[in-house]
Amino acid sequence: MIKIYSRMFVRSFFIQTVWNYERMQNMGFVFILKPFLDKVYLNENKKKEALLRHIGHFNTHPYMSGVVVAIVANLEKKIAEDNVTNAKLPDVNNIKDTMAGPLAALGDLFFFGTLRPTISFISIFMLIFFVKVLDDRFVGYGILIPFIFIVLYNVVHIAARYWIMFLGFKFGKESIFVLSSFKFLLTLTRYSGLIIAIAALVLYFSTFGFGLNGMFPDFNAQDAIVYGIVLVCSVLVASRFGGIFLFYTIILTCILMSYLGI
Amino acid sequence: MTENIIFLAFIGALCSSDITAFGQFMICRPIFCAPVIGFLMGDISTGLRIGMIVEMLWINAIPLGASVPIDVSLISVLSTFWVCRYFLGFQEEVILGIILAVPFAYLYREIDIFGRNFNTKIMHWIEKGIESGKYWRIDAGVITGLFLFVLRAFLFCIFAMIVGCWIYSSIYPQLPEFVLLGFKKAWYLMPIAGFGMVIYNFKSVKIPFWRNSHYD
Repeated sequence: MIKIYSRMFVRSFFIQTVWNYERMQNMGFVFILKPFLDKVYLNENKKKEALLRHIGHFNTHPYMSGVVVAIVANLEKKIAEDNVTNAKLPDVNNIKDTMAGPLAALGDLFFFGTLRPTISFISIFMLIFFVKVLDDRFVGYGILIPFIFIVLYNVVHIAARYWIMFLGFKFGKESIFVLSSFKFLLTLTRYSGLIIAIAALVLYFSTFGFGLNGMFPDFNAQDAIVYGIVLVCSVLVASRFGGIFLFYTIILTCILMSYLGI
Repeated sequence: MTENIIFLAFIGALCSSDITAFGQFMICRPIFCAPVIGFLMGDISTGLRIGMIVEMLWINAIPLGASVPIDVSLISVLSTFWVCRYFLGFQEEVILGIILAVPFAYLYREIDIFGRNFNTKIMHWIEKGIESGKYWRIDAGVITGLFLFVLRAFLFCIFAMIVGCWIYSSIYPQLPEFVLLGFKKAWYLMPIAGFGMVIYNFKSVKIPFWRNSHYD
């Protein structure tokens, strides 16, 4: 059975490959579950019924899908062993739909909303730190930065994916309560992310200073004020518009300032 | 130093496919793919700087639910490629690279939406296969979906790299002096704007003694 679980874990990386607007991750879900159903259902008709049962709409966070897959696998095993008739089948799809929403919210908030920005900022901090410390040797060591990001993120990501699937197999429907008891990790990561971001900003100023290479030749003394205004304005712009608007606004403002000779 | 467009487009396609198609190992993030392309083209410091700027400005751009955000890996891959190809070491010209790469990323988003609609057909093909007992179609369908995803990103990267090179090299000499000076100013201000974006991203963190409007 360990071999089947390992195959399911590897297949869980492909849950969004056939993502479609009609039923979203349904084919990815069936793809993960297939080795398990091959093992537990020896009767071809029962296996077909089980596969068709899971072809409906399904969408959750890709990292969190392991819990739902594991719970459904447990249920399917029970159905196969007890030889349950169609009339007495538990509502598997209802369980899937009820769990998918909260798990998606948890996953989006923790992994994509907090962990990834935090680890991005650890690598950006390291990048600025390398520039400050290494000077000329920076080019040689610079390739370490992307690998710091990938290794740090994936150590957490792959371990979490594995643990989440294991949790589903062990605790079943109760696993969502186990997961929500780790809420302190979210708060911890968010605080550390903010601290690292501010530390990176301070390090950026101490490394590059204000007005590097005579950025604004006509008012060198006020470069610090310009930086401050840009920082505050970008927070305000980001709160109402997106990154693209911010990017083009800064470029247009800079071109206008150059045109006016400021 | 590699200037083989096919090889670089393949790396770009793999990075771009990571957003949805497989894994979500985050090799799609600019902080990874821009330095890798920069390293392959012989200018890692430009790649790192592009990666840092694009990562910070588009820190929230990740597909959540059914949303399809702008493809940030393509922005970083394309802008690094163009800058390293024409302006090795001239970092200010990165801004022009990113300006040109954003419309391409928008165009790719439309292609991505088309691809996701096409996946519905693959899904129905698999469904019919299951109904008629052809279970091999599940594996074949997923492999086909992955292949098509990488293929469309690969072909788009080749198209964008070639067309972008032509646009980039024809626009740049015609730019007036004050525009280039504006790019130079923007090059130094862009990381600061990125930091602003990041501070906004952490808006929901409750700070003691700080009245947080997000929870008001």
